[in-house]
Amino acid sequence: MNRKKIAIALGTVCCILVIAILIQVNTIKGTNSTVSGDFSENSLRDEVLKWKEKYDNASTQLDNAEKELATIRENSSQDDESSTKKEQEITLNNNLLGLTTLKGKGIELVVKDDPNVTSDTLAVLDDMSNHIVHDGDLRRIVNELKNAGAEAISINGQRIVTTTAITCIGNVIKINDEKVSTPFVIKAIGFPESLETALNRNGGYLDILNDYGIVTSIKKLDSVTITKYTGVISSKYMK
Amino acid sequence: MNKEKIVMAVTIGLVCMVLMTVMFAQFRTVEQTDITGIETAREEELRTMISSWKTKYEETSTQLEETTQKINEYNEKAASTEETSVLLDGELQQTSMLVGKTDVTGEGVIITLSNNEDKEIEYTDLLSLLNELRLAGAEAISINDKRIVNMTEIVEVNGTILINEERVTSPYTVKVIGNQTYLSSALSLKSSGFIDKYTNLGKTIKMTLEKNIKILAYDSGNNLMEFKYAEEVQE
Repeated sequence: MNRKKIAIALGTVCCILVIAILIQVNTIKGTNSTVSGDFSENSLRDEVLKWKEKYDNASTQLDNAEKELATIRENSSQDDESSTKKEQEITLNNNLLGLTTLKGKGIELVVKDDPNVTSDTLAVLDDMSNHIVHDGDLRRIVNELKNAGAEAISINGQRIVTTTAITCIGNVIKINDEKVSTPFVIKAIGFPESLETALNRNGGYLDILNDYGIVTSIKKLDSVTITKYTGVISSKYMK
Repeated sequence: MNKEKIVMAVTIGLVCMVLMTVMFAQFRTVEQTDITGIETAREEELRTMISSWKTKYEETSTQLEETTQKINEYNEKAASTEETSVLLDGELQQTSMLVGKTDVTGEGVIITLSNNEDKEIEYTDLLSLLNELRLAGAEAISINDKRIVNMTEIVEVNGTILINEERVTSPYTVKVIGNQTYLSSALSLKSSGFIDKYTNLGKTIKMTLEKNIKILAYDSGNNLMEFKYAEEVQE
């Protein structure tokens, strides 16, 4: 009698376990099906590539057209003094806008996330976000460089122009709507000593970053090349 | 009899153990394969990428059309100095406007930030606002009539905020030209938007929408916009 009771109890437990396992197997199947069902994701990926290719083509054509325009503008204005002046100012404006590649004396600054801290070695009361470079840090560095008389700035090849936003969505930093990630290579053209001192002085912004374990290195260079902005600066609303 | 019982109990115990282990293993697997969150995010991300490339493509092709048209016009009018001059004037005006060398008008928003009894507006607040405005597609910005151009810095020296090396004080009137809807909705997003975020910190911020805002040209009194160190690279 007693034995029967035990057998029934055990039987029930086994039954429940088996059912639980079956349910789990089904759940896994379910999640698997959405993972392998990335057919729609693949077609989305194709579309991303398609638009990127179209953009790349248009961008190359625009490059060529702009070069042609610059030449033709120069040629057709060279016989006339006032035209030459205008042509030069247009060129200066395009340089100021960041629509051309510039070269000159300056600095190169590298800023990297703290290499000694990963999510595994992080102390209990510490926060990972104390050890990585943030969008706000990059904005502060850019502001310091501008203050020190930088004439052109880029971060990981993204030219800083008048419409440039440096933002962070989730843990992705975007500049000019393009993803950038550590290490950040910041190039600036200007008087190298001023640029360096602005960042490197005691209590300067690099000191603050170094205290958090962010790795920085800065060097003065005789020649820094800063590539042009590849986007479009438009005026749809202002006259 | 007693021995048999023990053997039974052990066997059943073992079976239970095995079942439990399998279940835990499965829990782990489920946890790992539960990437449905990431999965939808990825699809969303892909959609964002598509629309971003599409926008870039459209902007670039519009620009390409304009440039091609300019080339054609120069070609047609190459013979006449006068007509070439008109073309140059047009280009000069357009690029000067983008640089910030001219007064401009248009629709947009005016944001006023002022010190109150508890909280002062700091220069970093203005820097974050500029970033938000650029993200929302601002075309022209001024703070207390100091035009924000590409190389404009905002700094604080001994408690005074300087823009283009000139002193500005509270209230800070930020004039912005751009798409009114984008600008105002980006700034007034609940809790994460600039206005909510800073109002919650106790700062005084107001925004008005205006149809016709005038933003003054960059005053080159202190600093000419020119290059001392940089030279164009002819590719």
